[in-house]
Amino acid sequence: MFGYYLDLALRSLKRTPILAGLMMLAIALGIGASVTMLAVLHNLSGNPLPGRSDMLFHPQVDPRPADLPGATEEPPDDLTYVDAVNLYQLGIAPRRAVMSSNWLPVRKDAPDSPLAMFTDRATTADFFAMFGVPFLYGSAWSAQDDANHAQVVVLSRAMNQKLFGGENSVGKTLVIATKTFRVAGVIDDWNPQPRFYDINDGPFAKAEQMYLPFFTWLDLPQDYGYGPMRCWGNDPGAGLHDPKAKQCTWAQFWVQLDTPAQVAEYRAVLTQYSAQQHQLGRYQREPNVRLRGLLDWLDVKHVIPVTVRMQTWIAFGVLLICMVNTVGLMVAKFLRKSGEIGVRRALGASRRAVFLQCLVEAGVVGVAGGLLGLPLAWLGLWMVRQQPVSFAASAHFDPSMLGIALALAVLSALAAGVWPALRASRVAPALQVKSL
Amino acid sequence: MRIFFQIRPIFAALRSHKTAVLLLVLEIALTMAVLGNLVFIVYGTMQRSHTPTGVAESQIGLIQSIGVIGEDNPGTVAGNLATMRAAPGVADAAYGFLPLWHADRGPLFLDASRQHPAVHAYEFVGSQGLNRTLGLHVVRGRDFTDTELPDVMDVLMGKIAAPVQALLTESLAQRLYPDGNALGSILYDGTKSLRVIGIVDHLRGEITGSASDDDSLVYEFRVGTQNMGGGYLVRSQPGRLPEALRAAAAALQKANPGHVESKVLTMAELRENYFESDLAAGRMLVAIMLILLIVTALGVSGLASFWVQQRRRQIGMRRALGATRRDILHYFQMENLLIVSGGVLLGALFAYALNLFLMHRFELAHLPSHYLAVGALALWLLGQLAVLGPALRAAAVPPVVATRSV
Repeated sequence: MFGYYLDLALRSLKRTPILAGLMMLAIALGIGASVTMLAVLHNLSGNPLPGRSDMLFHPQVDPRPADLPGATEEPPDDLTYVDAVNLYQLGIAPRRAVMSSNWLPVRKDAPDSPLAMFTDRATTADFFAMFGVPFLYGSAWSAQDDANHAQVVVLSRAMNQKLFGGENSVGKTLVIATKTFRVAGVIDDWNPQPRFYDINDGPFAKAEQMYLPFFTWLDLPQDYGYGPMRCWGNDPGAGLHDPKAKQCTWAQFWVQLDTPAQVAEYRAVLTQYSAQQHQLGRYQREPNVRLRGLLDWLDVKHVIPVTVRMQTWIAFGVLLICMVNTVGLMVAKFLRKSGEIGVRRALGASRRAVFLQCLVEAGVVGVAGGLLGLPLAWLGLWMVRQQPVSFAASAHFDPSMLGIALALAVLSALAAGVWPALRASRVAPALQVKSL
Repeated sequence: MRIFFQIRPIFAALRSHKTAVLLLVLEIALTMAVLGNLVFIVYGTMQRSHTPTGVAESQIGLIQSIGVIGEDNPGTVAGNLATMRAAPGVADAAYGFLPLWHADRGPLFLDASRQHPAVHAYEFVGSQGLNRTLGLHVVRGRDFTDTELPDVMDVLMGKIAAPVQALLTESLAQRLYPDGNALGSILYDGTKSLRVIGIVDHLRGEITGSASDDDSLVYEFRVGTQNMGGGYLVRSQPGRLPEALRAAAAALQKANPGHVESKVLTMAELRENYFESDLAAGRMLVAIMLILLIVTALGVSGLASFWVQQRRRQIGMRRALGATRRDILHYFQMENLLIVSGGVLLGALFAYALNLFLMHRFELAHLPSHYLAVGALALWLLGQLAVLGPALRAAAVPPVVATRSV
C-alpha cells in the first residue's frame, strides 16, 4: 500500500511543480537554519574528552570568610596557593594536576634574539597522561622534575614551528623569563573545546602555547599575572600580585578517579581536609566541598554562549514559520485535488486511506526538503566558521547531524501535513463527484 | 476609488478560504514578530559600534610594553614618555589606561567607612599628560596641572593621606551628586580618597549600550625614574597616527631592550576587536532575516498563484461582465493588502510578546514602537511584490475562459 501511496504522491507533486517546489524550499530553509544552529549548539555542549571525561573530577573547597558579602553557596572555582599545594600532596587519586596560566617573555637561547610573549600553562606531570595529550616529539616531564623544580618545557606544535621551524627540538634550550629551560617534548595539535580545565578566560579559549612545571614556574622572577586571581577582604598582598596571598584563589585542580569507590573516598577526604582546616582556624566555614565530574562541571558553569542560545531559539522560530507556510500551501494543494479524492472515496477508499495518502505526500515533501536543507546547513556552518568568534572552530558538520536533519525535516513536514490531510480526508465524496 | 468598492467582495471571497487566509495571517504575524525584534537587535549593535568613547579616537594609539624582570633595563617611564614625544608625528604621550582596553569598574563610596558602594565606575589612571593624550574636554571646574600631581609610588603603596585630585564625567557626577554640587566634593574608592576638581563631558570605559558606560573617573600621578611596563599611549598630530605610532613604538623598543611590545594598536583597531564578535552575531541575524523574508514571500506568492488558478473561471466571468484587467490586478493586490494588514496587526502583538520573553531571558531592551512601523512597511511591500506575479497572471486571463468548461 505504501508503494502505491508513494507513487500517487510523486504523481501529484509532479502535477503542481511550483507549489511542490515552494513547499520543499520552505522546509529546506527552515531545516538549514535550525540544523546550523543545532550543530553549533551540539558541538559547543559536546564532550571535550570523550572516553576520559567519566574519570576526571574537579575538587573544590571553601576557604572564604564566614561573613563575605554577596557570597553564594558555591565554593570558589579555583584554589588558594595553600589549598593547591595541600591537595596536590594528598596523593590519594591515581592522577592529579594542579595548574594555572599567564604569559611569559620568551627568546631563543642565542645572543640578541628578540623577545616575545607566549601564553603558558604551569602544571604538574600528570596533566599530559590524565588528559591524553598527544606528543609529537619527546615526552612529558616526570614527577621527579616537579619535585626538583626542574627547568624543562613542553612546547605546542605551533610554538615549536615558530621558534624551531617545526624540527624535533627536544633537548634544545630556550630562555623563559630570563631562565634557561630545556625542551622535554613537543605536543601535537591539542585544543579540547570547551577548554574545561580552565574556563576563566571564557570556555572556548585556546590551549596555551607552552607548558611549564608548576613549582618551577612559581620560582620564576615574574609579575605577569597569576591566571584569574580573585581575592577577598583587605589582603595587602592582593594588590601586589602575591600568588601566596592567603585570600586569593587562582589555581585550577583536577584529579582522575577510576572507580566509584575512589570517588566516594576522595569526597570523604575532601570533607575531612576541610574539617581539619576549620579546626586549625584557617577555614571559617564548615566543610563545603564539591567533587563534580567533567560534564557536570561544564553543565554547572553554563558554558554555552548566550548569543548561541538566542540564535538557536530564533532558528527554531524560523522553522516554525516555515512550517506554518507549508501548512498553508498543503491545505491549498490537498483541497485542489478534492475531485480526485472524491472519486477515490466514491470507489471505496476509507477516510483513513485518504489521510494516509496525503501524509505520505507530506513525508515526500519532508524528505526532499531535508535533502535540500543539508547543503544549506553546510553553507550555514561554513558562514559561522568565517565569523571571528571564539567558538567558530566548533562549527563543523557532525555526521550524526545528517540523520537529525533528515528526521527533523520529515517530522516537521508530517506535522505540517496532519491537519491539511485530515481536512482532505473529510471531503464529501458525493459533492465532489457531482461537480466533476 | 473604484478599488475600495472591491473590499466587500474580497471579504466575501476570503470567507470561503478561511483556513488558508488564517494561516497566511499567522505566518505574516510570526514573521513580523521575529523580524521586528531582530532588526531591533541588529540596529542596536550597529548603533553601539558607532558610539564614541569621548576621547580623540582618530589620533590615539596604544603600545603595550611589558618589562621583563631580570633583564637589563635602563629606561625610565619619564624617559620613555620623552622618547615617544620626540618621535615624528607624535603630539603627546602618557602612561595609563584608555577606553575599550581592559576597562574595569570599581566601587566608589561617599563616606570613608566604605560600607555601601554608591556606584561602580570605570577608573582611568595614568601619568601626567593622560588628560591631554586622551583629549578630555573639561566642561566645568578645572583640569589637572602637572606640578601638583602625587608621586606614582605613593599612590600605588597607598601612602597618601590628602585626597587625590580627580575628574568625573558629567554622567557620574549626576549619579553621585544629583544636587549638582560635585565640584570640591570628596569621595572614596577601595584604597584612597579623591577630590573632584572638574567635570568632563564624556568618557566611556566600555560600550555595552547601558547609560552607566559613561560613568568614569580620572586621576593622574607623576612618574619619573621608575621602570614600569604597561600601556604607553600616543596622541598623534591629526592624520598622522599610523606613522607616529610606528615611530614611537620603534623608539620605545630601542630605549628598552628588555621590554616586549606585545601589542601596538590604533584606537580604531581596538574598537574593531572590541565589536568583532557582536558584529559577527549581527551578520548571522541578518542572514536569518533574509531567510525569513524569502520564506514569507514564497508562502504569499504560492498561495496567491493557487487562488488565481482556482478562480480562473470567476475571473473570466468578471472580465466578460466588463471588468478591466486593471480591476482584476487591483483585486488581488487589495486582497493581499488586507491579509498582510491582518498579519501586521496580530504581528505587533506577537512582537511585543517575543520582546518580553527576550527581555526576560537575554536582558534585551524594550522594543520601541517605530520598529514595528518599519516592520509593517517592509511586510506590506514584500506582500505586494510577492503577489505581483500571480496578480498579473490573473489579469491576463481572457474573458473567454468563462464560457469554456475548465
